[in-house]
Amino acid sequence: MAAAGPSVFLLMVNGQVESAQFPEYDDLYCKYCFVYGQDWAPTAGLEEGISQITSKSQDARRALVWNFPIDVTFKSTNPYGWPQIVLSVYGPDVFGNDVVRGYGAVHVPLSPGRHKKTIPMFVPESTSKLQKFTSWLMGRRPEYTDPKVVAQGEGREGKGSPPWAVGLE
Amino acid sequence: MKSKEEKVKIITEEYIDDGEDAEEERQKKPSKVPRQKRKKQLPAASREEMVSENSPVDDQQEPVQEGSDTRLLGMMSRRGPRSLPPIPSASRTGFAEFSMRERMREKLQAARSKAESALLQEIPTPRPRRLRSPAEKESETECGMELDREVQRIQQEHDSQGHSRVKFHDSVRKIKSKPLVPPGFPSAEEAYNFFTFNFDPEPEESEEKPKAKNRHGANQEEKEGEEEEPPVQEGVSKTDEEEWLDGRDAEDLLLGLDHAVEDFVAIRPADYESVHVRLQREKELLFVPSRRTVPTYKKLPENVQPRYLEDEGLYIGARPEVPRTNQNIMENRLLTQEPGRRWFGDDGRILALPNPIKPVPSRPPMFTQAQDIKPELETLYKKAVKYIHRSQHLIGSGDSPGNFQLDIDISGLIFTHHPCFSREHVLAAKLAQLYDQYLARRQRNKAKFLTDKLHALRNAVQMGLNPAKTPKTLETTSKTINEYKSEIRQTRKLRDAEQEKDRTLLKTIIKVWKEMKSLREFQRFTNTPLKLVLRKEKVDQKADEEAYEAEIQAEINELLEEHTEEYEQKMEVYRVTLQRWKAWKKAQRAKKKKKKQEVEEHPTDEEREEPGPGEEPEKPAPPEPVDRAVIEQQVRERAAQSRRRPGEPTLVPELSLAGSVTPNDQCPRVEVLRREDIKRRSLFLKVTFNNKEVSRTESRPLGADFRVHFGQIFNLQIFNWPESLTLQVYETVGHSGTTLLAEVFLPIPETTVVSGRAPIEEVEFSSNQHVTLDHEGVGSGVPFSFEADGGNQLILMTSGKVSNSVAWAIGENGIPLIPPLSQQNIGFRSALKRADAISSIGTSGLTDMKKLAKWAAESKLDPNDPSNGPLMQLISVATSGESYIPDFFRLEQLQQEFNFVSDEELNRSKRFRLLLLRSQEVPEFRHYKQIPLYDREIMEKVFQDYEKRLRDRNVIETKDHIDSHRATVAKYLQQVRESVINRFLIAKHHFLLSDLVVEEEVPNISILGLSLFKLAEQKRPLRPRRKGRKKVTAQNLSDGDIKLLVNIIRAYDIPVRKPTASKFHQTSRSSRTFTEKHAASPTTHSPAHSADYPLGQALVRPFVEVSFQRTICHTTTAEGPNPSWNEELELPFRAPNGDYSTTSLQSVKDDVFINIFDEVLYDVLEDDRERGSGIHTRIERHWLGCVRIPFSTIYFQARFDSQEDEKLLQATEKFRAECALKFPNRQCLTTVVDVSGKTVFVTRYLKPLNPPQELLNAYPNNPQATAELVARYVSLIPFLPDTVSFAGVCDLWSSSDQFLDLLAGDEEEHAVLLCNYFLSMGKKAWLVTGNAIPEGPTAYVLTQEQSHYLIWNPCNGHFYGQFDTFCPLKSVSCLIGPDNIWFNIQQYDSPLRINFDVTKPKLWKSFFSRSLPYPGLSSVQPEELIYQRTDQVAAAELQDRIEKILKEKIMDWRPRHLTRWNRYCTSMLRHFLPLLERNQEDVEDDHRAELLKQLGDYRFSGFPLHMPYSEVKPLIEAVYSTGVHNIDAPNVEFALAVYVHPYPKNVLSVWIYVASLIRNR
Repeated sequence: MAAAGPSVFLLMVNGQVESAQFPEYDDLYCKYCFVYGQDWAPTAGLEEGISQITSKSQDARRALVWNFPIDVTFKSTNPYGWPQIVLSVYGPDVFGNDVVRGYGAVHVPLSPGRHKKTIPMFVPESTSKLQKFTSWLMGRRPEYTDPKVVAQGEGREGKGSPPWAVGLE
Repeated sequence: MKSKEEKVKIITEEYIDDGEDAEEERQKKPSKVPRQKRKKQLPAASREEMVSENSPVDDQQEPVQEGSDTRLLGMMSRRGPRSLPPIPSASRTGFAEFSMRERMREKLQAARSKAESALLQEIPTPRPRRLRSPAEKESETECGMELDREVQRIQQEHDSQGHSRVKFHDSVRKIKSKPLVPPGFPSAEEAYNFFTFNFDPEPEESEEKPKAKNRHGANQEEKEGEEEEPPVQEGVSKTDEEEWLDGRDAEDLLLGLDHAVEDFVAIRPADYESVHVRLQREKELLFVPSRRTVPTYKKLPENVQPRYLEDEGLYIGARPEVPRTNQNIMENRLLTQEPGRRWFGDDGRILALPNPIKPVPSRPPMFTQAQDIKPELETLYKKAVKYIHRSQHLIGSGDSPGNFQLDIDISGLIFTHHPCFSREHVLAAKLAQLYDQYLARRQRNKAKFLTDKLHALRNAVQMGLNPAKTPKTLETTSKTINEYKSEIRQTRKLRDAEQEKDRTLLKTIIKVWKEMKSLREFQRFTNTPLKLVLRKEKVDQKADEEAYEAEIQAEINELLEEHTEEYEQKMEVYRVTLQRWKAWKKAQRAKKKKKKQEVEEHPTDEEREEPGPGEEPEKPAPPEPVDRAVIEQQVRERAAQSRRRPGEPTLVPELSLAGSVTPNDQCPRVEVLRREDIKRRSLFLKVTFNNKEVSRTESRPLGADFRVHFGQIFNLQIFNWPESLTLQVYETVGHSGTTLLAEVFLPIPETTVVSGRAPIEEVEFSSNQHVTLDHEGVGSGVPFSFEADGGNQLILMTSGKVSNSVAWAIGENGIPLIPPLSQQNIGFRSALKRADAISSIGTSGLTDMKKLAKWAAESKLDPNDPSNGPLMQLISVATSGESYIPDFFRLEQLQQEFNFVSDEELNRSKRFRLLLLRSQEVPEFRHYKQIPLYDREIMEKVFQDYEKRLRDRNVIETKDHIDSHRATVAKYLQQVRESVINRFLIAKHHFLLSDLVVEEEVPNISILGLSLFKLAEQKRPLRPRRKGRKKVTAQNLSDGDIKLLVNIIRAYDIPVRKPTASKFHQTSRSSRTFTEKHAASPTTHSPAHSADYPLGQALVRPFVEVSFQRTICHTTTAEGPNPSWNEELELPFRAPNGDYSTTSLQSVKDDVFINIFDEVLYDVLEDDRERGSGIHTRIERHWLGCVRIPFSTIYFQARFDSQEDEKLLQATEKFRAECALKFPNRQCLTTVVDVSGKTVFVTRYLKPLNPPQELLNAYPNNPQATAELVARYVSLIPFLPDTVSFAGVCDLWSSSDQFLDLLAGDEEEHAVLLCNYFLSMGKKAWLVTGNAIPEGPTAYVLTQEQSHYLIWNPCNGHFYGQFDTFCPLKSVSCLIGPDNIWFNIQQYDSPLRINFDVTKPKLWKSFFSRSLPYPGLSSVQPEELIYQRTDQVAAAELQDRIEKILKEKIMDWRPRHLTRWNRYCTSMLRHFLPLLERNQEDVEDDHRAELLKQLGDYRFSGFPLHMPYSEVKPLIEAVYSTGVHNIDAPNVEFALAVYVHPYPKNVLSVWIYVASLIRNR
C-alpha cells in the first residue's frame, strides 16, 4: 500500500437535492458543489452539478421539487476538512434575468445511513437601498464571488437575508 | 494649666445649657419676631447664630453687660425702630469685640499692674485675622465667608478661653487698630471710672466669677441681655462710623492709661543664668551620644566573636552609605537607650537592608540631537488635554476605554395582586404564595436540620460527660459541655419555633383552600385552575410515639437541668442580696438614729444624701424551686401545639393547576366583563439605567392567569458605573394611555455574577394606585370583603413579581466585561458585610484562603449547614495543610488531563509536524495535499528541503553566485521576500466585502448617460471596438485548459543582410520595436555569396519564434525587412504543482521569449549536376533579436500599514478616485509601498542625487553625452520585476540607496534613480508613468531640454524625442516631480500628441494645489549616495569564470556533436568587446572590416550580447536563446568571448560575443 501512495479512507455520498421551499419564487434551478479540505480528493462521481428548472407544485405544499441526484466518492487521509455540499439556487426575476435566490451549505453527514438535511438559504444583501434598487432594476443582484465562500469561515461577517430552506436527502 | 482648662470647660457646658434655656424662653416672647425674619432672609446665617448662641462667647460678655446694663438697654431702645441690617453675624463680631474690648481694658489694667506684662508679648499671636481693617470687614458680607469666619472665630475664642492671656495680648493690638468709640458708648473718663471701680486683679476670676454669680442671682437679667443682644450688635455693625470712633476713643484711653499705669511698674534687672550652670543643668537633662567608635565587643553578646558573613562567602548587599560619625552616634544611642542589642548583626554592625539605590539609572538617557533623529521618529508636541475626572466614570485616564456590558434577562412577570383579580384570584394568589413558602421551607427543612443538630449536640454532651472517653482535662470538658448545653438550648428554641411555623403554615394553607372552595361553590364558577391536594403519609404509630415520648423526655430533662441550674444561680444571688439587705437594714437603722440628731443642723446634707431612693435594696424574695410536673406540662403543651401528634399522618399539600376554569358562557355577566377587561390589558417593562430609559420590552397581553411572559435579554453596553437599575412596569388598557404601575429596583450584580451563571431571581414590586372596577374585579387599594355582610374588609394593592436575572456579560475572549471596582460601592457594601462572605471580604478575598478561613471563624459559620458545605470543605482543605495551595492561579487546570500524549511525542510525530507546518503556511508545505494517515508513510525527505532552507538561512553560498556581493544581495532579497510574503499571507486572510460579494456599483450620471447613449448606437458599427474579455475566475482548471495566445502581427525595420561592400547601414541604436537587445547586424557571408543571395533570397527572411516553458512555436517565414505575419501562436500553459490559484499563477517565473530569426538557406549540394533532380539546402537561422515578456501580471494588494498622514492619504484617495472617474484607463500613482511594507507618498522618492563622479568626469564638456552615460549606468543595474520576487503580492519601491545596494529592481527603481540623477545634474526631470511596450504599466523619465522633451527608458538607457514614433512609451498617465503629481487630463495620452507643459491646469491636474498646498514631505532618499570603485581584478576573474561556464554550457547543449573552439577568433573578439563598451556605435564598420580581414575564409555568424550582470543564469539563457549552438554543420567552429566592465558600486556590464564559424571550401 505504501508504494501505491498513502493509505486513505473513502467517503461515498449518494443522495439527492430533493425539494425546496421558496415561498416567493418560482422556476428555480440549483447548483451544487463540494468544498473540502486539502487532504481530500474526489475519486469518482461528479463534484459539481446543475439541475433542471423546476416549477412549484400545484398542491398545498407549493414545493419546488428537483430530485436531483448526487453521487460522489472522496478519499482522504484526514477527517479535517470534511466535505461540505454547497448549494446555490437561481431563478429568473421579474425581468427574466437569472439571479441568485439562495446560498447554503451543510456538511456531508458524519455517520453512515440515511439523513435528511434541511439547509437554510440566504443571499447577500445590497449595501444600500439605492444599490438594492439599481440591482433589482438591472437584474444584477449581489452575489458571492464563489459560492464556496459560504462553506468557508474567512471573511464572513455581517451577511445574511431572509432564510428559506432546501431539503436534501 | 490643666485644671484650669477643665474648669473652663465645665463652665462652658453650663453656659451652653443656659443658652438653650434662653432660647426656649425667647421663643415664647414676641420680641423674637424680627429675628425670625432675619433667619428667613439668610438661612446660612441661622446656623452660625445657633453656634454662637450656644458657644460660651456670648456668655463671656455677660460680666460687661451686667455692669453697663442700663446703658445698653437704653441704647437698644434708641436703636429699636431702625431697620435691621442684612448681616447680623458681622455685627455680632463687632459686638463681641466691643464687649471684649471692655473686658480687655480692665484686664489690661490688671496686667499692667504686674511686671509680667513683658512675658505676654512673647506668646505668639494665634489670630492674625484679628488684624483686619474695618473696611475689609465691611466688605466681607458674603454669607459663606461670614459663616466660616464666624466658626473660626468661635474656635479661636474657645482657644482664647484656655489662654486668656493670649487673648489679652491680642485685644490690645486690636484696640490699636480700631481706635474709635461710638458716641453712645462710654467715654474714656466713664470707662476709666467704671474700670477702676470694678478693678479685679485676677483676669480668670473676672471671667468666671461673674458668671457664677449670674447663675445664681441674675438669671433673669441675663436672659434679657441675651434677647437684646442681637439688635444692639446689628446697630454697631451697621454704623461702622460709630465703631471707628469707638476705636479711637479706646486708643485715647489706652494712651491715657499708659501714663497712669507707669507708676505701677516695678523695674528689675534681667535674670542671668551662667553658661556653666546652664550646661550643668542641661547635662542632667539631656543625653548626648558620643561620636566615638563603639568597640565591637560592646555591640555583641558577651563571649561572642564577630562573624563576617561576607567572608564566609555569603552574599550581602551593599549597605547604604551613612557617614561614620552618624553611625557611631546611632550605635552609641542604641547601646544606651536600647540595651537589648537586637539592633546589631553578627558582625557587630547595625542591621541594614541593602542599599536600595541602583547604581545605574533604569531610564535610558535621552540624547536630544536634532540631526540624528529621523523624521519619522521626531517627537511631536501636543497640547495637553485636560482630563475631567468624574468619579462616576469608571475608567481612569490610563485605562482603555471601557466596554462593559450588563445583561438583563427579563423572563416574565407575575401579579400577586391586580385590580382585575376576582375574589377567587385573591385567594388563589394567597394560596400560591403560601404554597411557595411551604415549598421553600420544605426545601430548607430547617426543623429537620435543627432536630439533627440537637441530637448531635446531645450525643456530644453524653460523650463529654463520660470521662473514660475524653482524656481531656476536667476543666476543658466542663467548659465545652457548658458551651454545648447553651447551644442545645438555643437550638431547641429555634427548632420549636421552626416546627411551629411549619405547622401554622400548613394550617393556613388548608384554611385558605377551604375558603376558596366555599367561594367557588358560592359563585358557581371557577376562575383559577388551582387545586390543592393533601396527601397523607402514614407513619408507624408505635415508633412515632416512642420517638415523640423520648423527645419530650429529653426535653424535660434538659429543661429541668436548666431550671435547676437557674434556680441555683438565683439562690446564690438571693443569698448574696439577702446578706446585703440585712447589712443595709442595720446601717439604716443606725443612721436613722443619727439623723434625728443632726437633722436640725444640716438640712442640706440630707438633701445630698437623698439621691438614690431607688437604690434602696428591697427585701429579696427567695426563688421558687423547680417543679418537674409543671415543666412537663409546659413541654407537652408546646409539643401539642407545634408538633405533629404521634401517629397522626403527615400531611403533604400539593398544589396543581389541574382544575378547570369555567368557560365564559357559563359565567355571570360581571365575570365575563372582568375577563374581557383582562384581555384588553397589556404590559411592558422599561429598563432604566442610572435613571435613563435604555430599552423596553415588547408589549405583551396580560394572561388570564395574570402572568406575562417576556423572555427578552437586554445587553446594556455601559460606560458609567451602574448606580441604579430599575424596571418600570407599564400597563396599557385598551387603546387608552399607558400607566406606570410600579418601579422595580434591581440590585447591581456582584462582579462574580457573569451571564450564564446568574440565577433567575424574582423581585417583588407593588403599586399604590387605586382602581375601582365595575365588574367582578376587586380593584386595587379599594376595600372589599369575602363575606356577604361586607365585614372583615380587605384592602389589597397591586403587586407582583418580576423574574429576571442581571449579570455581567462575558466578552469574546472569555473575559467578563466588568468595570474595575470603584471606591463608590464600598459604603453601600458595608451594610451587607458579615452576612455574605463575598461582600465581606471582597471577591478577591475568596482566593485568599487565610482571609476566608478567618472570616468563617469570625462569623461562626455553622459547618453543618448544608448551604455552607462547599465553603467549609474548601476551607478545611486549604487550612489543613495537607494539600498545597499554590499562590498562582491556573487558568486551564484540566489541561493536564487532556494531554493524551506528551509534547515530545507530539513533536516527534511527523504527521503532526506536517500538519502544523501546513497550517502555518510555510512555503514548502502550503499546498501540500493528502498528508498521509500514518507516520510511517511520511518520507523523511519531505522535510529535507525545509530543513535545508532553515539551515542555510544565514549561510551565504557563493556557488551559484560568482560574485560574493551578489550572493549577499540575493540572500537579503530572499529575506525581504519572505517577510513581505508573510505579511501578505496575514493580509490575505482578511477579506473585504468586495472580495466575497460581487455587487454592481451604483451607476452615476455619466455611466447612465453613456448607457442611454448606447441605446441609440449602431448595432453593428463599421469599426467595432474591442470589448474587454471578461475575467475568468480560476476555479476548476486543470492542465491543458489554459493556453497562452501570442499574436504576431508584423515587424518594422528589420535589419537586412548586407553585401560586404555595401554601405547600407542603419544606425542600430536599437530603437526598434522588437529588438530590445543590442543586436549587431548579422554580418558576413562569404564573399563568394555576397554578390548574389543564395537561392535568390530576399535581403532578410525573418520569422518569429515564441518560446514559453521550453515549448517553442514559430511563425512562417516572411520576406523583407518589414514583414507582416498576422499569426496566432498557441502555447500550452502549465501551472506549478497544478495549482491554478491567483497567487500561484503570479509566482510563475517563466518568461515568454519572442525571438526573431533570419532564415538563411544554404545550398549544400555538392554536385551541381544533381540540382535538377533535388534540392539540398540547409536552413540556417540567424538570431536577430528578442523580446522577453515576463509572465506576471501586476497585482496590487496594498493592504498594508501606512505611515503617511491620514489627511494626505485621504486626499490621495480622493485624487485617485477623481482621476479614475475621468480616465479609468490611466493609472494614477500617488502612493506606493516601500520595502518595509508601508504606504509612502510617491513624491518622497524624488530628490536630486549625485551620480558617480567618474561618470560626470567622462565628458566634462558634453552634457548630453554625460546624460547618456548616466542613463547607461542606470540601465546596467539588473532588472528584477517585483511581481516575480514578491509573487502576487505587491509592487514594492525601494529607495535609491537600497536599489544600488540590492543591485536589482524594476522599472520604477530605475526610473527613480535616473530621474534623481538628472535632477542633480540640473535638468528638469519628471517620472512618467504610463504604458509601454513591452513592459506594460511602467515608469519612464521625462527631461526637458532647451526646446524639446526627451523620454528616457531607464531600463536600457535609450532616449527618444517626444515625437519619435519608435518610442516604446505608448501612453502617459502621470508626471511625478519631487513636489507634485500631475495627472494627464488631456484627451490623448500618446506622448506624440500631448503637451508636457505641466503649468497648464487644463491639461494637467496637479495633486498639490492652492487648496491643498505641498506640506513639505521629507524624502525617503538619503542625503547623498556613496560609491565604491569596483575591483578590477575581481571583474577580470569573473570574466574568466563566465567564459568558462558558457563554453561548458554550449558543449552541453550539443551532446551529439563535437564542439570546436576557434581560439584565434575568440582572442580577436575579446579585443573587440572593450571597444564596444567604450563607444557603442560607430565601431561596427571597423569591426566588420577587421573581421573580414582576419577571417577571410570563414563564414562568420555571431552576436555580441550585452547585459547587466546579476547572476550567471540569465547569461546562459541569453546565449541559449540565440540558438548559436543549434548549428549542426559538420565543420562548424565556435568562438565565445566575454568582457566584464566594472562600474562604480559593483555595477557590471557584461558583453558576450558568441559566434559560429564555418570554413568555406
